[in-house]
Amino acid sequence: MGKNYSWVKCLVLATIIASTCSSAPALSSQAGEERMIADGAPGHAGGRLVVALRSEPKTLNPAMAVDETSRDVIRCLTADLIHINRGSLKTEPSLAKSWNVSRDGRQYTLELRRGLRFSDGEPFTADDVIFSFQVYLDEKVDSSQRDLLVVGGKPIVVVKVDAYTVRFELAQPYAAAERLFDGVAILPRHLLESSYRNGSFSQVWSLSMAPNQFAGLGPFRLKEYVPGQRVVLERNPYYWKADRAGNQLPYLNEVVFLFVPSEDAQVIRFESGDTDVLSRFSAENFAVLQKQQSVKGYHLDDLGSGLEYNFLFFNLNDLASKGLPEIAKKQVWFQDVRFRQAVSAAIDRDGIVRLVYSGRAAPIWDQVTPGNKLWLNEKIAHPARSLDRARQLLQSAGFSWSSGALVDSHGNPVEFSILTSSSNAQRMRMATIIQDDLSQLGMSVQVVPLEFHAMVDRLQNSYNYEAAVMGLVSGDADPTSEMNVWLSSGETHLWHPNQDKPATPWESEMDGLMQQQLVTLDYAQRKHLYDRVQEIVAEKLPVICLVSPNILVAAANRVGNFRPGILVPYALWNIEQLYVQ
Amino acid sequence: MKRQKKLVVALVLLTAFQSLILFAGFFAPYDFAAQDREQPFAAPTAVHFVGPQGNVHIRPCVYNLEDSVRCYPLHFFVRGTPYKIAGVFTSHLHLFGVEAPGHIFMMGSDAYGRDQLSRFLFGGQISLLAGLIAAILSVSIGIIVGGIAGYYGGWVDELLMRGGELFLALPWLYLLFAVRAALPLHISQWEVFLLLVSVMGLIGWARPARLIRGVVLSAKQRNFVVAARGFGASDMYLLRRHVLPQTYGVVITQITLLIPLYVLAEVTLTFLGLGVGEPMPSWGSLLSSLQQYYVLSSYWWMFLPALLLIPLFLIFYTAADALQEIHKTVTL
Amino acid sequence: MPQCIRWNRSCWSGLHKKGPMKYFARRFFHATLLLLAVSIFSFTILQLTPGDFFAPMGLNPQISSRTIAGLRSQSGLDRPLPVRYGHWLRDVLKGDLGRSFAYNSAATPLLAVRARNTLLLTGTAMLLAWLIAIPLGMWSAVHRGKWGDRAAGVMTSGLLAVPDLVLFLVLLLLAVRTGWFPTGGMVSAWFSDLNAWNKVKDVAEHLFLPALGLAIATLPTMLRHVRSAMIEVLEAPFIQAARAHGIAERRVLFRYALPVAANPLISLFGFSVGTLLSASLLVEVILSWPGIGPLLVDAIMAKDVYVVIGTVMLSSLFLVAGNLFADVLLFATDPRIRVE
Repeated sequence: MGKNYSWVKCLVLATIIASTCSSAPALSSQAGEERMIADGAPGHAGGRLVVALRSEPKTLNPAMAVDETSRDVIRCLTADLIHINRGSLKTEPSLAKSWNVSRDGRQYTLELRRGLRFSDGEPFTADDVIFSFQVYLDEKVDSSQRDLLVVGGKPIVVVKVDAYTVRFELAQPYAAAERLFDGVAILPRHLLESSYRNGSFSQVWSLSMAPNQFAGLGPFRLKEYVPGQRVVLERNPYYWKADRAGNQLPYLNEVVFLFVPSEDAQVIRFESGDTDVLSRFSAENFAVLQKQQSVKGYHLDDLGSGLEYNFLFFNLNDLASKGLPEIAKKQVWFQDVRFRQAVSAAIDRDGIVRLVYSGRAAPIWDQVTPGNKLWLNEKIAHPARSLDRARQLLQSAGFSWSSGALVDSHGNPVEFSILTSSSNAQRMRMATIIQDDLSQLGMSVQVVPLEFHAMVDRLQNSYNYEAAVMGLVSGDADPTSEMNVWLSSGETHLWHPNQDKPATPWESEMDGLMQQQLVTLDYAQRKHLYDRVQEIVAEKLPVICLVSPNILVAAANRVGNFRPGILVPYALWNIEQLYVQ
Repeated sequence: MKRQKKLVVALVLLTAFQSLILFAGFFAPYDFAAQDREQPFAAPTAVHFVGPQGNVHIRPCVYNLEDSVRCYPLHFFVRGTPYKIAGVFTSHLHLFGVEAPGHIFMMGSDAYGRDQLSRFLFGGQISLLAGLIAAILSVSIGIIVGGIAGYYGGWVDELLMRGGELFLALPWLYLLFAVRAALPLHISQWEVFLLLVSVMGLIGWARPARLIRGVVLSAKQRNFVVAARGFGASDMYLLRRHVLPQTYGVVITQITLLIPLYVLAEVTLTFLGLGVGEPMPSWGSLLSSLQQYYVLSSYWWMFLPALLLIPLFLIFYTAADALQEIHKTVTL
Repeated sequence: MPQCIRWNRSCWSGLHKKGPMKYFARRFFHATLLLLAVSIFSFTILQLTPGDFFAPMGLNPQISSRTIAGLRSQSGLDRPLPVRYGHWLRDVLKGDLGRSFAYNSAATPLLAVRARNTLLLTGTAMLLAWLIAIPLGMWSAVHRGKWGDRAAGVMTSGLLAVPDLVLFLVLLLLAVRTGWFPTGGMVSAWFSDLNAWNKVKDVAEHLFLPALGLAIATLPTMLRHVRSAMIEVLEAPFIQAARAHGIAERRVLFRYALPVAANPLISLFGFSVGTLLSASLLVEVILSWPGIGPLLVDAIMAKDVYVVIGTVMLSSLFLVAGNLFADVLLFATDPRIRVE
């Protein structure tokens, strides 16, 4: 007989089995890999999620991304050391499994998880952390993240303790130090060090890069980018989180981001089933979608008020050098706090909630919204609308009425204009309602819709405006994210930015309070300080807060573990735990 | 003669419509800015002839949204909010009205609870005026430029026609943004609007100019013009007495055609936020709310201003057609 | 001297006197001047409007003015206008239209893709409109005054009076309510999974509604032009002579009337080519077709200057080329112009 080749068959069979095992999608935990266990309900693997984006991301380079859309995509591709859980709004371990703070609050020592790997299989160590922070803090790279990593005027110092331990040293104790790390993506040293050394870092990781040039620690990695249409992410087979049953996350095989430029178009495509998740849309579209809810297999969530606050404010700048005598004359009215209080008393906040947001908003009287439960000052009064009180305040400030029109003590009729952005329909409608409200006090108000850039130019450069309606979305629930707004020297201290020294005693008091809460570590003490800031804002009304819109999201019924939060990115913050049925 | 009949009918209808718009305050039950915050996006009010107890009235009545017990009767020739006719005369008389808290929204209400019918009528004042001013401006410049180009010919003609092409090629959207952003804050909304409309009219002279030039060219060669020139008539005389009168047909036709065109351009302006400001209505602001999906799919009555515009444009185009046909017979 | 027919533009410029090559060379030169003028105008106007692309970032409390200044100088926006114009002109001659700040990529490939999408849409719509307008217009002219013509006339006037905006909105509503058509975009989310034939089908499905809308919007004017051109020709003496000779009506129509009537139609065709890039702005915005229209509107809003200028230049190029093309076509097809 010939040779017995059965051993060849066994070898071939074994090889086949071995290769199949090693290419299985869910890699079993490697020895020494310290995974993080996610707290969601276990789901099943596979499937694709389709989400619409309002615009195209500009870059996938975490150091250079400034716009929200790029950040949204980058969040799916990268991981940070300490993460803010969008459900609880508190910090939780991420790549750092634990940390301790020194007694003086200036040193944070973080223990990194061991045995983790980037999406291309290379190991993750403290060297990557050191490299990442080096890049972010480098002035030549000019990353926008740098400003967020400056404490007490000095950038934080990063020291490597050993292969899996890193120490951060701050110039002064910083209350929200842990929150600093949220969103600061850890970069792969093995891929990016060379471009950093030869100075081409800011061009690297654009959307048109080849997928194999990218490596991250996030649940997904880049698969495909089609300009003008979509960007597709695929599952990261080396991801370091698992569910409670021990299955490696993420569940989804693919995430497709479609570029759908307008909210209405997004709603239409969601309704027809093209997309699975709809994040942050207007109340009117909510009503439209509600009608077809049961028929079309999706559900809507009204999460209550978010962190956005809309307000009316007056031009309180020092106009001496600007040559705007007309506005300077009117500033005599604007600078009188009783005038501002009268305006606030006359505004129909409930009307705005009802007409502009179909009831899906909350009226506010200071800058902290009801959605920010950790920091809201519950004791601030919420006076109902009262034209009588407004008239009393105006009278006590020396105003009077002549044939129905309001005039000041010199007999000049009270007339001014309110700027709004012509591209924001809600704020235009708010301004129209305010115009009508104030006309009942005898004020003649004109609404001037301007193209957004023109408006920004007037607000920040020429100061050629009288009043404006605007809104801000807090980047974080913590007050330190708004330092630039409430400090009198801040650049976004909208009504009077970049002051050399505080123009009014209450601004001086606010400065002191904000600086102090920055370095106070105890939450109760900080809350006490920030409560006082809110009192000042509600009483002195540098901005007259109007309403805070609710966060509205929607998802197809087949999306599991959908637990949207009120902080960006609202619906996709737990994308590694989302699954489709 | 049939053409003339068509023209007459069109003109009669136009005049009727214009007087409706001119006396907008009379025909509208409410002021255009009157907000009823309890009734945003209310459907058109149904008019009933049968009362709550089942008895039939001659005078129609309307129900309030909240209660179906009390039916508010519709009165005619009521005294209501004051309004101005042609900006000069003040009057309080309205054709019909309902006493508060009843309300009559014949075309429904908008996001602030303002009566759409009133806004449509008052808006017509602004939109039609805008169309008229822009059209007249365009054609006036067209007459001057086209007349000179056609009459003198040669390099003057070349230069002016190339200039016209440049104007057609320019990004006018842009120019309007620049104009709007550069204006001071203290100019009234009316003035801003008129300025923007004038700019629109100033830009659109190229096409009328081209047509007038064509007419002037052919008129220039007519026998009687050549003869008059032979008699020693000056250029100005020829232009004024012989050539330009030939262009009247084209001029009228162009104006009639351009008015609806510029009304539509005003819609685009308002959509981009460059139009007349709140609370002044214009047809553009009435139509632009349809851009939003929830309005499109839930509130069908917001389509009504668009539907009402169609017969109006039809009348304009019919008149323009009739004029074109008449004018052709005259010159040929 | 042949009598200049009113719509025959080339006649006015003395084409037949100076010779075609010189004439077209002159036209080409004028076209270049025109494009230059448009570019200068655009740049200047851009400077007049306040703020630049990075200005709105100033309102974000988490971005410092230092970062914004850095971004600005990186993109060259802080250099004086003539310098920027000079650089831009030099780059354009190499085919580089500058950089898009909004998309953080070169503007030329971005514009190329969008222009391709728009041309697909307008090309299809124009084809559709011509395919309907020519036979229907001819038939209308032949049966002039009878009920068929009058019915067509009423329909045309009706369609003409409907604002384009309303038409497109109604189509959008139709798509959403019935679900028979896709509601936006050019391709579906799973496009990359499809094979070649299905890909074509997918694009065709998405193309149907916008092309239909655009065709309906442009149909009435075209129909009228065809009809009036045919009527004018059919009244000419030589047609009556042909009929008197006993030539069959069909032959009279196609062999004798149509070629002559084609003259103004060719001009019209040339102009249509000129508007291929600009005619579809409204339909693209409303029905979410990823063409050059929405790109322009967004770029204007965001002050993405090089994209705006690039788009404007491209549209002007098409306009000018369309005019030139119309003249060339006329010259090639109409013997009257060639004769001295």
